[in-house]
Amino acid sequence: MNASFTLPGTQTTPTITADWDLGLLQMSGDSYPENSFDFFTSTLDWVESYLRQENRPLRLELRLVYMNTSSVKVMMDIFDLLEEAHREGRDVGVDWFFDSRNERVELLAEEFREDCTFPFRISAET
Amino acid sequence: MSTIPPDTDEGDEAGLLAEIDQLLDSPVHHANPLRAPLARLLALHRQQNERLLRLIHLSDGYHELGRLRSSTLSQRFEHHLRRLEKLARISDRYQDQLRSLNAALLQSSLKDPLTELGNRRYLMERLHDEDAASTTAPAAYCLAILDVDHFKRINDGWGHDMGDATLKHIADALRGAIRHSDFVGRWGGEEFLLIFPATELADAFQITERVRQAIGAISIAHRLGPVTVSASIGLTRQIAGERFAAALDRADSALLRAKRDGRDRTVIG
Repeated sequence: MNASFTLPGTQTTPTITADWDLGLLQMSGDSYPENSFDFFTSTLDWVESYLRQENRPLRLELRLVYMNTSSVKVMMDIFDLLEEAHREGRDVGVDWFFDSRNERVELLAEEFREDCTFPFRISAET
Repeated sequence: MSTIPPDTDEGDEAGLLAEIDQLLDSPVHHANPLRAPLARLLALHRQQNERLLRLIHLSDGYHELGRLRSSTLSQRFEHHLRRLEKLARISDRYQDQLRSLNAALLQSSLKDPLTELGNRRYLMERLHDEDAASTTAPAAYCLAILDVDHFKRINDGWGHDMGDATLKHIADALRGAIRHSDFVGRWGGEEFLLIFPATELADAFQITERVRQAIGAISIAHRLGPVTVSASIGLTRQIAGERFAAALDRADSALLRAKRDGRDRTVIG
């Protein structure tokens, strides 16, 4: 699975854009699908394939607002993949943007960042 | 020939074996009848020794393997535990976020944005509460409907901004005149509803008069002269066993009489 893809967002799922050529995965919106593990399978597979097949940098750009528990679990799995790649010397990084009016999201992103040793930037957007 | 000490160590053993080898090799002892059995004993000893070492080695290997396995298991367990704790922490945060959002939405859904008094939904909840309370406690409540006199004239004559400002002043007057135990809200348009839980009519009347005076004292500066206002009030007391709708109807009729009788007054119905 070395193709780019876009999943348009719905009320319960985030918009996901995976660009293989740019080495960029973007996710934005709320995430509380009925079955998060099914919903995120393609995204997890994409990250795994990219890290295995490519040697180029991988960047995640996140604008996630609300997540249910199983979505949080999937995000932690993705960060684990990045952490593993980072330890092997790969250039990986996360940029988490939050609405400056919603500081709670910043605190959540900080919780996610804990234990991650790869570059993980959290920035406010207006 | 030396004697063997009872607690010989490895060095002594190697020395002793070398000495025996030397004696066995020496032509002097070739004819000795002990030579052949001793040589066999020595070979047997060496074989057993080797077996023992191999056994110890194997046993050490298994021991080390077990230690490694249990430490990897405990590391993995620790890792999963940490992840689970992190997951729970993040999930709790999201839940807190939803709960406070919910509370904020509930607050705003019960509030009139202009006057910041409770809205009709808020008042309906209070009325249902009062009905529920009156089935267990005999103390009846009083209700008053207040309508601003000639409000349309204020809107038409000075504009809607002045109308809004007047309603805000009236809301302040209401908040200042009622007791802590009373409820007030915007019933709709220029109508306000007051609820006096477990209150005698005479006491409620005193409060509505206080409200009326406070409203009468309102004076809003304007370049064409100060804007003043008055209000008419219909007041009633719940009759034992009746639901709030019946009491509201009575208060409404009393309000109509107050208007017909010349406004700026409280009529009890």
